[in-house]
Amino acid sequence: MKTIRLPVLALLMAAAVLPGCGSGDPPAEGPAVVHADNGQYPASDYIEQEKGVPGGTLRVSVGTDAGTLDGHATSSANVQWMGRILFDNLVYLDEKGGLSPWLAKSWTVSADGKIYTFYLRDDVTFSDGVKFNAEAVKVNLEHMRDPATKSPLAAAYIAPYLDGKVIDEFTFQATLREPYSPFLYVLAQSWLGMESPKAIRENPKGIGEAPVGSGPFVLESYTRQQGVKFVKRADYHWAPPLIRHEGPAYLDRIELEFVAEPLIRYNALAAGQHDLSIDAPTQNAAAIRADANLKLANHIRTGNPSRGITFNTSKPPFDDARVRKGFALAVDREGIVHSTGFGEYALKADFLSSNTRFYDPAYRDVLAFNPAEANRLLDEAGWTGRDAEGWRTKDGQRLSAEIVVTESATPSAIIAAIQADVKAVGFELKIAELPAGQLTQRRNANSYQALGAGFWHTNTPDGLYIQYHGDEVTTDKRIGQNTSRLNDPQLNDWLAAARRSSDPALLKDLYGKAQQRLTELVPAVPLHESHSIIAYRSPVRGVIFDTSHNTPFLTSLWLEQGRP
Amino acid sequence: MKILKRIAWRLLAGLGVLWGAATLTFVMVNLSAGDTAIAILGGPDAMPTPEVLARVRSEYGLDQSLPKQYLHYIGRLAQGDLGESYRLHIPVLKAISQQLGATVELAFSAATLAVTLATALAILTAKRAEWLRGLSSGSELVVSSMPSFVLGILLLLGFSFRLRWFPASGSQGFKSLVLPTLALALPITAVLTQVLRQELEDVLEQPFIMTARARGMSDAAVRLRHALRHAMIPLVTLSGFIFASLLGGAVIAETLFARQGVGRLMVDATTSKDVPLVLGITLMAAAIYVVVNLFVDIVYTWVDPRVAAA
Repeated sequence: MKTIRLPVLALLMAAAVLPGCGSGDPPAEGPAVVHADNGQYPASDYIEQEKGVPGGTLRVSVGTDAGTLDGHATSSANVQWMGRILFDNLVYLDEKGGLSPWLAKSWTVSADGKIYTFYLRDDVTFSDGVKFNAEAVKVNLEHMRDPATKSPLAAAYIAPYLDGKVIDEFTFQATLREPYSPFLYVLAQSWLGMESPKAIRENPKGIGEAPVGSGPFVLESYTRQQGVKFVKRADYHWAPPLIRHEGPAYLDRIELEFVAEPLIRYNALAAGQHDLSIDAPTQNAAAIRADANLKLANHIRTGNPSRGITFNTSKPPFDDARVRKGFALAVDREGIVHSTGFGEYALKADFLSSNTRFYDPAYRDVLAFNPAEANRLLDEAGWTGRDAEGWRTKDGQRLSAEIVVTESATPSAIIAAIQADVKAVGFELKIAELPAGQLTQRRNANSYQALGAGFWHTNTPDGLYIQYHGDEVTTDKRIGQNTSRLNDPQLNDWLAAARRSSDPALLKDLYGKAQQRLTELVPAVPLHESHSIIAYRSPVRGVIFDTSHNTPFLTSLWLEQGRP
Repeated sequence: MKILKRIAWRLLAGLGVLWGAATLTFVMVNLSAGDTAIAILGGPDAMPTPEVLARVRSEYGLDQSLPKQYLHYIGRLAQGDLGESYRLHIPVLKAISQQLGATVELAFSAATLAVTLATALAILTAKRAEWLRGLSSGSELVVSSMPSFVLGILLLLGFSFRLRWFPASGSQGFKSLVLPTLALALPITAVLTQVLRQELEDVLEQPFIMTARARGMSDAAVRLRHALRHAMIPLVTLSGFIFASLLGGAVIAETLFARQGVGRLMVDATTSKDVPLVLGITLMAAAIYVVVNLFVDIVYTWVDPRVAAA
């Protein structure tokens, strides 16, 4: 009998912070089998637990500058948490990934799924004094999709939006071209935050540097390449009801610095120069956990997990699903993931993050390391011969493929490890390092056999549509994220049907089938969950996380008195 | 009059250098190209709608042929228009000017420190006891051959994380200037000291030094008043080297110490394929080179009339 293990190394250590993977599972014999099941984190990760003490300045470090503070005009991951400082959204998600009110108190959706009516709060203002109302929502949606905004993300997320109608001052009606149930979910993402309609009308290009929102903080200064300073907005009192925070934020100020070097981020935090680091380096995770003054919080991001390799399913040899699956089964995740995650990353062998709504754990081991089965599949695909160097052959041709990755000073250890793993089953993987520009060009011109790492954060299982539906393949006219160029009619049908439905039972069925189908089609090799890892000093209290991305939500955060 | 003609010629040649730099960068950036529209939209994470993609392509003239794009670009440059940064969505000139102050501050303090320190060290160690010279030139060798990245990390570990005298990051105030200035200045100091000491030792062998000593001048006065003046001439020659080191070093110092500045802007612009910004910074650097060289040239003719005659 074959037992399949998916041990997650030092996630034993992480168990304290990842209750979903520790508390629920009985301890296994030998290396623990840890799957971070369904990423069910406790409600205390999302809901304020105690009233904080107002005051103080939070000093934060993050690795990169977003370049612009206009969330509508960027796809920067920084917006996930930075957006929450400046902006509010129409809706929020609850701790289970369902919908929850925010600036919209409630909403109705027509039976045909095309007309959304939002009933808005009437007591919200932007920091420039402009009232938040139905007109503001309309102006915002227009701004997101206006080609002049050059939105790389928000516009696509609301692509089915046809037009909006102001019913009365606080009632807004959105009409969609076709039913699109992810609509409300994407409206909860920070990239789609509400900006002052006055700023949008009068100086749309200036929003990137001088954003005006209705959020708990306002911008004090933004110095590119250096940092951002925010100050509390005293009259704020409309945090998402779910987090149970009343009134303005606790912190007086937030001073954010862009610190590119992970080594410096860690040391500056340890030396007390920062209170919170957003991108805590995994190589220092053990040191952070061992330090009594520091805390580490590690959460799985919803959406799609990190892939080690994405196959081009439209070109040989990866146009054969048996070859793809054989390849995937030959990859031994454990060592590979440890080399970058240092025990902080949960192994992943299926296609939806385990804390995404409608995740089905039934297929989590289908693509687990199994060299015997890998060899069998490659044999079945006809690659039975062997050449002088030991590579598999078929009709005199070697089983070989080239993966294109971005060139860098330190070549990816992940790809090299995968290369060694598949060599063991007679598959020759060649690595081509290209400048980023050329890589994009090859990617868009369908001139590759395989691509390196990738992931997609989103707060709905519709991330599967974005990455694997046939309509999302890049063409001359549009750029899509389906880089595996998968175009499976059956999968397409299910994913499209899921977009049309908001019936939980039906969605569970459709997304379940889609997840199963993906483990048969194997468009990529998932390696590990995509994680949001932060570290902070112990005086930092009230740390809760955003329900859309598991990034920190600073409204409820406060500093214990007597901080050094 | 001769000097004016000389300056005019040099300025003309400088324009040629700028045009060359602009052309070369344009070619190189486009060779490593790929889809510029995607770069504008934020890289591979972009998921633009067809409308957005079409708009970007036409707005930036990306649907035109490369020679056309080049002519258009040079034409705008001639009018002083550097275009708009792809990533920051602001004019290139603005993006650079936002960062220039911090870099100038850092470069100026590093240059001042390097020259002062090198001069002092050279005067103190030239023609002194073997062990003192040995110690000095030994440390110079170590510092000048150490990558500034490593030097910066050592400074941070010692003075920021352990002793906690200076912050590890930031660009506000004197305290945050100290460590990056040291990281930038020390390697330059090391090279300058070596050259200056050599020069000083040569000068100290000269007959007029003997004469000065014979007049009863103290050793310190001889070194400061007579020898140093002559030895300083190579500093002028080395100003090109100093400038290049400052520019290159700023890229690393600004990234490591999380300071704002043109160096860090350049790194980000390059990695995100922000073509107008890369071109803008390259041109700015080239322009400063031209000015520095012109300046050195004039100073030379002033210090040493033989150069003007030649």
